[in-house]
Amino acid sequence: MENNLSAYRRERGFSQQALADLLGVSRQTVISLEKGRYDPSLPLAFKLSAVFGCKIEDLFIPGED
Amino acid sequence: MDSKAVGQSKWGRSRFGGGSGALIAVSLSAGAVLSAGAGVLLARLNAPEHFVLAALLMAAGLLPVLSTACWALLLDRDTLRGATRNPEISVESQWYDRAAIGVFQDLLLVCGLGGAVFSFIQIQASLGLVLAGVVLLALLDFGIRYFIIKRAES
Repeated sequence: MENNLSAYRRERGFSQQALADLLGVSRQTVISLEKGRYDPSLPLAFKLSAVFGCKIEDLFIPGED
Repeated sequence: MDSKAVGQSKWGRSRFGGGSGALIAVSLSAGAVLSAGAGVLLARLNAPEHFVLAALLMAAGLLPVLSTACWALLLDRDTLRGATRNPEISVESQWYDRAAIGVFQDLLLVCGLGGAVFSFIQIQASLGLVLAGVVLLALLDFGIRYFIIKRAES
């Protein structure tokens, strides 16, 4: 799944580690999310939307299928 | 956002309170008591003619394993350095699940095929040895699978 996480994170001035600490996950999780290699669970998606103050669909772009 | 601020250290702290030193001391003491008990029991069952030597050797072999097990049971994992607050939603949790599913399928295949083949071939083997082999195979398989998934997705 494509996403705008990297852009949102840079806009807020967070490092990957800082975002990981805010979410309570590993830095590798943030890296995998940004690369689109890990589709987050619903709780993690809600945490991300709360951190960035936006809707989940602003962060993640569903695929064609 | 859940932000539980906890002090973290190399050895962590007990879930029942106290510092790292207390946790290590309790783990070593409990491990010593359990390994002494297990050593006496195993020596009585397996080597009654060399009881003292067998009990000491078995207790010495079990001490590090049981002390570590006690430490793991008593530890508050949030106090361990590098522990994340929400490991269940981290990508490593997904890697773990995928590796574990692969190991389960491999074990079904190996045990199923092994059972079929050895029902025709008469080979006698210790049940304990066979089960230890299955556990080692599962651990090795898990390690390899986890490493491959991590390499592919990092």
